[in-house]
Amino acid sequence: MYDLIRGPLVWIAFVVFGVGLVYQVIQFFRLTRKKETLYVTAASPPKDSEKRKGKMDRIHEAVCYLKKTVWYSHSSVMIVSAIFHFFLIVTPFFVLGHSILLDRSLGFSIGSLSESMTDGFTLIVLFSAAFFFARRIAVARVRAITTAYDYLTLLIAVAPFLTGYLAYHQWFDYGAMMFLHILTGEVMLIAIPFTKLGHMLFFFLYRFFIGSEHSLSQANRTW
Amino acid sequence: MAEQGNPPIDTSKIKAILQRRKKKMKRLLSHCVHCSLCAESCFLFMAHKGDPQYMPSYKVINSLGKLYKKKGKVDRETLEGMKGIVWRNCVLCRRCYCPVGIDVPSMITFARSICRSQGVYPQPEDIPKESWL
Repeated sequence: MYDLIRGPLVWIAFVVFGVGLVYQVIQFFRLTRKKETLYVTAASPPKDSEKRKGKMDRIHEAVCYLKKTVWYSHSSVMIVSAIFHFFLIVTPFFVLGHSILLDRSLGFSIGSLSESMTDGFTLIVLFSAAFFFARRIAVARVRAITTAYDYLTLLIAVAPFLTGYLAYHQWFDYGAMMFLHILTGEVMLIAIPFTKLGHMLFFFLYRFFIGSEHSLSQANRTW
Repeated sequence: MAEQGNPPIDTSKIKAILQRRKKKMKRLLSHCVHCSLCAESCFLFMAHKGDPQYMPSYKVINSLGKLYKKKGKVDRETLEGMKGIVWRNCVLCRRCYCPVGIDVPSMITFARSICRSQGVYPQPEDIPKESWL
């Protein structure tokens, strides 16, 4: 079983992840079409041709824009979310263990950060996930739309980090923790294109390509 | 005003309508991360002192989401319950914001069209019974 998850299942997971994302991108462009750009979005800078804009003007514009977004109305959630997503993506690339595996398997690696740093990053991800879990239970309006599926996807996202942390610190049986770490990582990769974890791709597709008041660019596509 | 009567629900018709926009709607439904950050963008949510049933995500999940989950096999009672969600709880002002970029009003509109296809829509006599504010 270990040989399976350490060998073929790794390739299957990456292929399903890659092909799944490509499929979703293709489907997105097939299901949408170009239209005339009509919207002045919330991200559009105010028209001000009378004075040359300096750095302070641009900073002021950025702050004014952010005040109209959830970064202002839900600062704590957005800050924790930003930190969570940043370390969720960065940590796996720079963990020493992954770097060594990559070097031994494919003959190259992208370097790694110190183990104490990546250990800290993992803890940040785990504490952020705990914040989201607590929010699901404690905040009434989030609870109103929460189902078992939400807890499951949070578990899928966090399990590789939790099992990796436990394995690194050799809490419980190391072999079992490593087995679970590899398996949960593969489950997460396979799940991304086909579950709500796909927002990692669709956030960019929807906010940058679909034209609406809340577009982050001069988006010109519609469903 | 003429009574609606109680003709049977044509679930095959509902299924056919759901099928027409399945690719788009199911994608939008599945990409909702249930974060509730859309709530404050709805003025009805704010006017009702944060009642979760006025959240855009709640409205969509409990109307169109329910229709897709049940594959269109709903009864009149379910559609009557949805009537309040998609007409009373939403005015299609398009003010709703979603961090992921999900188009909530189009989903509410679609749910309305499915209700209408079965003769379920607000009647004038409904209005005095329910509080619309």
